[in-house]
Amino acid sequence: MDLKEGLRAETWAKSSLAENEMSKRISSNNPCFTDFNSQQYQQKWEDPSILDYDIRINPAFQEFNQPPQNQSSLPCDPTNQIKNPFQMNENLQTNKMQDWDPKAMLNNLSFLEQKIHELQDLVHLIVGRRSQILGRPDELVAQQQQLITADLTSIIVQLISTAGSLLPSMKHTLSAATPSMGQLGQFGGVPFPPGAGLSDSIQVQNSCAKKVSNQSNPIDLVGNSGTQQNHAVEEHDLKDEDDADDGEQLPPGSYEILQLEKEEILAPHTHFCTICGKGFKRDANLRMHMRGHGDEYKTPAALAKPHKESSSEPMLIKRYSCPYAGCKRNKDHKKFQPLKTILCVKNHYKRTHCDKSYVCSRCNTKKFSVIADLKTHEKHCGKDKWLCSCGTTFSRKDKLFGHIALFQGHTPAIPLDETIKGLAGPSDRREGNEATSKIGSTNFNFGSSVPNGTGVSDMDAKGES
Amino acid sequence: MKKQRCSEKINLFDLLSEEIVFIILDCLNTNPFDKKSFSLVCKSFYITESKHRKKLKPLRQEHLPAVLIRYSNTTHLDLSLCPRINDHSLFAISKITSFTLQSIDLSRSWGFSSSGLLSLTLSCKNLKEIDISNAVSLKDAGAAALAEAKNLEKLWMGRCKMVTDMGVGCIAVGCKNLKLISLKWCLGVGDLGVGLIAVKCKEIRSLDLSYLPITNKCLPSILKLQHLEDLILEGCFGIDDCSLAALKHGCKSLKALDMSSCQNISHLGLSSLTSSIGGLQQLTLAHGSPVTLSIANGLKKLSMLQSIKLDGSVVTRAGLKAIGDWCVSLKELSLSKCDGVTDEGLSYVATKHRDLRKLDITCCRKISDVSITHVTSSCTGLTSLRMESCTLVPREAFVLIGQRCRFLEELDLTDNEIDDEGLKSISRCSKLSVLKLGICLNITGEGLAHVGMCCSKLKELDLYRCVGITDSGILTIACGCPDLEMINIAYLKDITDSSLLSLSKCLRLNTFESRGCPLITSLGLAAIAVGCKQLIKLDIKWCHNINDVGMLPLAHFSQNLRQINLSYTSVTDVGLLSLASISCLQNMTILHLKGLSLNGLAAALLACGGITKVKLQAAFKQLLPQPLIDHLQARGCVFQWRNKAELDPKSWKLLLEDTVP
Repeated sequence: MDLKEGLRAETWAKSSLAENEMSKRISSNNPCFTDFNSQQYQQKWEDPSILDYDIRINPAFQEFNQPPQNQSSLPCDPTNQIKNPFQMNENLQTNKMQDWDPKAMLNNLSFLEQKIHELQDLVHLIVGRRSQILGRPDELVAQQQQLITADLTSIIVQLISTAGSLLPSMKHTLSAATPSMGQLGQFGGVPFPPGAGLSDSIQVQNSCAKKVSNQSNPIDLVGNSGTQQNHAVEEHDLKDEDDADDGEQLPPGSYEILQLEKEEILAPHTHFCTICGKGFKRDANLRMHMRGHGDEYKTPAALAKPHKESSSEPMLIKRYSCPYAGCKRNKDHKKFQPLKTILCVKNHYKRTHCDKSYVCSRCNTKKFSVIADLKTHEKHCGKDKWLCSCGTTFSRKDKLFGHIALFQGHTPAIPLDETIKGLAGPSDRREGNEATSKIGSTNFNFGSSVPNGTGVSDMDAKGES
Repeated sequence: MKKQRCSEKINLFDLLSEEIVFIILDCLNTNPFDKKSFSLVCKSFYITESKHRKKLKPLRQEHLPAVLIRYSNTTHLDLSLCPRINDHSLFAISKITSFTLQSIDLSRSWGFSSSGLLSLTLSCKNLKEIDISNAVSLKDAGAAALAEAKNLEKLWMGRCKMVTDMGVGCIAVGCKNLKLISLKWCLGVGDLGVGLIAVKCKEIRSLDLSYLPITNKCLPSILKLQHLEDLILEGCFGIDDCSLAALKHGCKSLKALDMSSCQNISHLGLSSLTSSIGGLQQLTLAHGSPVTLSIANGLKKLSMLQSIKLDGSVVTRAGLKAIGDWCVSLKELSLSKCDGVTDEGLSYVATKHRDLRKLDITCCRKISDVSITHVTSSCTGLTSLRMESCTLVPREAFVLIGQRCRFLEELDLTDNEIDDEGLKSISRCSKLSVLKLGICLNITGEGLAHVGMCCSKLKELDLYRCVGITDSGILTIACGCPDLEMINIAYLKDITDSSLLSLSKCLRLNTFESRGCPLITSLGLAAIAVGCKQLIKLDIKWCHNINDVGMLPLAHFSQNLRQINLSYTSVTDVGLLSLASISCLQNMTILHLKGLSLNGLAAALLACGGITKVKLQAAFKQLLPQPLIDHLQARGCVFQWRNKAELDPKSWKLLLEDTVP
């Protein structure tokens, strides 16, 4: 863990410096983003192909600290907006330590309401202005979008934080009440509190939320961003296969079964910065990130690993259940085999119940649902030149010969023309078919879970493709 | 098969059943022309002979379909005389002989591809043996084609350099019944391919892995083969002591092991070897690590050992003594070109291993009459003694060989001090069939006369540069040794046509070398050609007096001639062109023929349909039209261009007289 933390910290420390670099990389991938640094953040929001949650929020956070100079032309005071979430987050921070306080929650909600009203006013203003100054340079529009984005971001962050603050307190009160746990766990998809006359902003908000939960692509590609930055950490993750705990035989009842809902499983990040809203996969990385927000986060106490709450009393072993009904990893299954960690749950769910949406760009055949699997495959793709008569390909000759020695009747397959690389074997195609058969069901599930804002997200998707 | 004819005459052969005729035909082995004559007697004989013949060795691929249709019971097809076999020929073979063919030899042929092989292996389901050695362009696809021969038992694929593990893997999976496989020089094959052979082909008896880049990894699976008897690991540099330690559990069946030129094996590996394969009978450790006391002691436990070959290794005195102390009794010992073999060591070994049958002490230059005395006195059962260039052995010692070793069949005394007394003594070895006396300058016709009178079973006689030999010596040999098959009288300057006339009585002569005999003329050669119809190899280089007159009878009578060296003779275009009518002729060396014109050469080369190898002066390379060269090469002919200055045959002799005291 120390190593990982270190890596993460380093990554984070560098990320602002590496901003230019990253943008270059992205622009090379996607030519339409050559003007990444020209502050068109709104566009970035709506574009899943940027594939980088970290970066998406990161500029927004920067913007809070260094507001653009020409922002003064806007009617709304940006400093106010910056301060308010800050205080609010401090409140939340303290709340987390204590038990759940309904009063604090109410405060939060009313604050959110207020913020949304402000935003609504701002948008109204912009709409009014736009009618006057049609044909103005795009720069102003971009600034407006930027502003709205910043506001929306802070709203979302606070909303999530509010919801998230409920979690630790609920854990103690609930023993085996997994269903309610699951409901609470849906913080990624908590419906935005409907406010009168807020339809405009809500829709935007929902579209964003949906993007997070509905599209498996950007979610996993967030993981991709992490992979790109520090491969070593991702390699460690890969080791935690969801089947790794098969040998373990815990007697039923000796452990606590937790079941995360699929939205939670598929959420890209579980740890969010209460100040800027940046999401993290690991708490340690969040702690490293927090150092950038002030000296109070740099103390050893703040950086240290949070103490396990009940180190004195024996912790009940936690095991996880897959939310997919009928799965062997689902707790209702006859031969239920629990999953060991949340990471196992995530990988299992993606691998088994999700669309394999990542296609290897080299062979265009192999598909994966976990981005790290794709990365692993791509490392070896094209090297699978050792082919068996059964169609299985091997990247290493000794593996092929081991396979042939093991099975009767299998024989090395010699390509007709040694110079032309044989395309993928039949087994790959089979896999592809399986993947396509699963697509329908998963999509349906997602659709039902987030009914709002589908239109927007569809448009996004179309714009992307 | 009975043939009823309407004629009133009763053919006695009609009364014989086909099987009996076949048995009679089985006896007609000695002369290949006998069966031909038989088949030409009448139609029924023709048909009988066609049915009887099982083995075919055709000369040209053009006639293959017709030949195969005639000999419908062919099981063994040897195509080593057909330099060029294309896919069409293989298609024809596979079509015609699909049920009968069991064995095919393609080791000297080229021009076929994997598709031809595939058709062969797919349709000839009874194919048990394939020799595809030297198919250097054969790739894995070809090996995969071979793998379709599901009943294959023996496969030779030496020097198939392009075949890799993948191809061998196909063979391993496809040919489950393999009993013998030779992968010598298949440099693309490594541990994986060999390992798969060992895993998949459980019936393997003989495995030749010489010069393969294999390491220790594949050895354990090889040694698990239950029936493995013969394992050749010559020149496998990747194998070392550690791998031999793995032998501990393996291979009770192994009888012969060849680990020559394995540089990375020391006495440690060999001692672990001995503990694992107790049944070993033959061990070859040529060009290996020095044979020291530790090695010899390590091999002591091989209780069944009969033969050990240490050629080219350094042998210490202690090592040789330790070999002498082994409790087993060796039948065969080879110390050829071993440094360090002394009288003391060799004598000790000889006195201990009294049952020795074969002894090779070629170029053991330190031994003297002491060794020979001990060897001859204790190993009286010797059948083969090879002692070329044992220069310290005095002439008296050779008398002992004849006196004591009466059972000798093979004796190599090349470059020794033997004289007529020795020859007289040796002539007592009445079973002698191979006698090599090259560069024995002390012998004369007198001594040779004893050999000729007593050694009637002599088949090979080498008299290379025995300058004391004259016509009289050759005459006694020719009269006394009717079975003579090979004689070398090179550089015997006194030999005349009369020797050749007498040798023409040796009907089985197939190899005749009279290089550098200046007195021989066309007349003598004509006599040989007429008498020795089975002549295959002829070397008349430096015989200036042989001209076209000698070539004409040669072309007419020696229809089996395959190889001829005509350099420095007086043969011209006419003689060369007449030779072209010999359909078997494959190999010609034509250097420095003064009377040869360019057109004559070109015509002769074109006319020699079966020629595979021609040695010519490099000057002709420029003169001969390139299309002609291309055409000949496409027919399967290989040109070797030589650019040596004309040498005086006497220069070598002068050199020899300087070096030999």
